[in-house]
Amino acid sequence: MKSSIITLLAAAALLSSCSQENEVSPAVTSGSADLTFDAVVNDADFTLSKDFTISGTTYNFSTLRYWVSNLKLVKANGEAYSVPNSYYLLEETKEISVQDGSFKYPARKREQIQLTNIPVGEYTSLEFSVGVDSVYNNNLSLQAGELSQLNGMTNISWMWHTSYIFSSLQGSVKQNSTTKTLKVETGLNTNFKSVKLTLPQALKVSSAAASAVISTNVAAITEGVDVMTTPSVGAAQGDVMSKVASNFSSKVFSVKSVN
Amino acid sequence: MLGFVLFLLVACQPQPREVTPSLAPFDRELPTHFPAFPSTPDNPMTQQGVELGRRLFYDKRLSGNNQISCASCHEPAQAFSDGVAFTTVGVSGRPLDRNSPALLNLAWMNNGLFWEGGATNLESQAFAPLTNLDEMAQDLVELETELKADPTYVQAFKRVFDGEIKVAYVARALAQFQRSLLSYQSAYDAYVEKKQALSSAQRRGLALFTTHCSRCHQGALFTDNLFHNNGLDDDFSDDSKEGVYQGRFRITRNPVDLGKYKTPTLRNIALTAPYMHDGRFPTLEAVLKHYATGVKASPSTDAVLTQNRSVRLSESEQQDIIHFLNSLTDYSFTTNPRLQNPF
Ligand code: HEC
Ligand code: HEC
Repeated sequence: MKSSIITLLAAAALLSSCSQENEVSPAVTSGSADLTFDAVVNDADFTLSKDFTISGTTYNFSTLRYWVSNLKLVKANGEAYSVPNSYYLLEETKEISVQDGSFKYPARKREQIQLTNIPVGEYTSLEFSVGVDSVYNNNLSLQAGELSQLNGMTNISWMWHTSYIFSSLQGSVKQNSTTKTLKVETGLNTNFKSVKLTLPQALKVSSAAASAVISTNVAAITEGVDVMTTPSVGAAQGDVMSKVASNFSSKVFSVKSVN
Repeated sequence: MLGFVLFLLVACQPQPREVTPSLAPFDRELPTHFPAFPSTPDNPMTQQGVELGRRLFYDKRLSGNNQISCASCHEPAQAFSDGVAFTTVGVSGRPLDRNSPALLNLAWMNNGLFWEGGATNLESQAFAPLTNLDEMAQDLVELETELKADPTYVQAFKRVFDGEIKVAYVARALAQFQRSLLSYQSAYDAYVEKKQALSSAQRRGLALFTTHCSRCHQGALFTDNLFHNNGLDDDFSDDSKEGVYQGRFRITRNPVDLGKYKTPTLRNIALTAPYMHDGRFPTLEAVLKHYATGVKASPSTDAVLTQNRSVRLSESEQQDIIHFLNSLTDYSFTTNPRLQNPF
C-alpha cells in the first residue's frame, strides 16, 4: 500500500513536470489575449478585387495567405513564453482553385489569433516566424496547430519539392496597358524567417482581456521586386523569393495598437 | 507499478512516438552485409501499420477517378516500377516527365526521394502522387471521406494510429509499407553469404563493377544516396517545365548540380527497364554502351566518368557486367506474398 502511494505521488510529479514545455515555469494564473493581423496597403485597408497603386503599378488582389508560427511573448527581462503548437494560417482570399482547378477552397477571411492560457504578466515584445520550421516542413505527416495538407498551402504547384508554401500573394499587376497575373509565393527552409516586434506599450495579460493589433502591410511584400518583369515567384525564382521572405521578416509587420 | 510510472514518463514526451502496446513491431532479419535497419521515431513501424499501408498502396480509391492505385505505376513483378519510359496511366492521361523508379530498400533512402531528391521522406513524398493531376489527382478532403465510409479502414486506422482517419496517417501507413519493401535475397546475396556460387562471367563482371561502378552504386544497397551527373547530357539550358531537364539544380539552384540525379539502386535492375530518369535506354546493353563510349562531358559530369572520356570497357567486359547485374534479381522479393495486392 505504502509503495503504491509513493508511486502515485511520483506519477503525479512526472505528469505535472511534463505538462508544461514552456520556458516560463507554470503560472498560477493565466489569461488570454487576441492578436489581430490587420492587412493594409500602406495607409489603406486591404481589400480583395480593388485597385491599389503601389509605386506606379496597379495591383488587384485575389489572395493573401501566410503562416504565422512559433509565436513567443517576451517580457522586459527577456523571459519568454512560447505559445505551444502555434501554427496559424492567416488569410483573406477569394475561392481558390486547388490542384490547378480540380477542387475549390472556399473564400475566407481570417485575421485573428486567440491565445489562451498565457501566464499572467507584462509582455513587451512579440516574436514569430512566417512559414513553417524545417521539422514540420520536412515531414508533411506531422501535425501541429493548424498545419494541414487540406488547405492548399502545401506545394501543389511545385510538388516535386514536397513542403509547405509559407506565403502566397495573388492577383494581377498592371502598368499602362499591360496586365500580368501576380503569384508571389515563398517556401523552402532557407526562407523561414523570424520577426521581432517591440510593443509600444506592454501587453498586460491578466484576468481582463488583452489585445494587440499588428499591421500586415501588403505593399511591403513585393518591395524591391519588379513585379512586371517577375510577376510569378516560385522555387525557380530563388533570389526574388528570398527577397520577398526578407521583406516579410523586416518590412511587412508593425504594431498598430496594444490594449 | 514501476511499469506504470514508466508508461507515464513515456506518455508525456511529445517525441518520439511510442508503439501502442497491442501492435507488433515490424522486424526482419537482414543479412550481415546489410546496414542496420534504420529506425523512424516519428513513424515507428508495426506489422499492422505495414499491412494497412499495403492495402492503401493497392487501393484504387486513393485516386480521384478511383481507377488507379500506387501499384498502377509501381508493380511488384517489375520490382515496383512500370516498364515504360513515361507512363500515361495517370488520371489526366498525360505522359509524366519522369520514369517510375523501382521501389525497394527505401528505408535507407535518407537523402531525399525522387530522382532529384526533392522529397525529404516517404511521409511527405506520398502527397505528390496523391495530388498531382497527371498521377492520382485526388482531393485530399474527399479521400478522407471515402476512406471513412469503409469500416475496415476505420478499424485499421483506429488500431494503428489510435485515431480517426486523416491523410497524414494515410501517408504514414504508406511509408511503413514502403519501408517494408526489402530486397536482400538475390543470387549475389547468396554468393556474399557463401551459400551459392556465381558463374565465372558474373564473377568477372563483379570485379569490373567494383572497379568502375561501385563508387556510386555502392555497398549492399548499390547506391551512395548521392547525386551525380553520369554524363547523359551536356546541355542544361532548357529550363522549361520548372527545370525538369536540369536535374538536382531545380532543388538547389546551384549550377554544380546541373544534370545530377540520385544514384539509383541496381537491385532487380533486369526487371526495371527502361533505364535512367527519363527511361531513355531500353536495355542494359544500351546502358553499358553509354558508360563505355557515350559519356558526355560538362562542368558537372562526374570526374570518375570523364577521366578517360568514358569508362573503358570492351564489348565482352560490358557483357560480363550485365551477367553480374542479372545476379541482383530477387524473385523472392517480387513474389513475396506479403507485398502483393491484398484485394
Ligand atoms: C501515374 C504513375 C504513378 C503513380 C500512380 C504513383 N507513382 Fe510513385 N512515382 C512515379 C514516378 C514517375 C516517379 C518518379 C518521379 C520523380 O522522381 O520526379 C515516382 C516516384 C516515387 C517514389 C520515389 C522513389 C525514389 O527512389 O526516390 C516513391 C517513394 C513513390 N513514387 C511512391 C508512390 C506512392 C506511395 C504512390 C501512391 C500514393 C505512387 N508512388 C503513385 C509514378 C507514379
Ligand atoms: C559517378 C557515379 C556513377 C558511376 C561511376 C556509375 N553510375 Fe550508374 N548511375 C549513376 C546515376 C546518377 C544514375 C541515374 C542517372 C539518371 O537517371 O539520369 C545511374 C544510372 C544507372 C543505371 C540505370 C538505373 C535505373 O534504374 O534506371 C544503370 C543500369 C547503371 N547506372 C549502371 C552502372 C554501371 C554498370 C556502371 C559502371 C560501368 C555505373 N552505373 C557507374 C551514377 C553512376
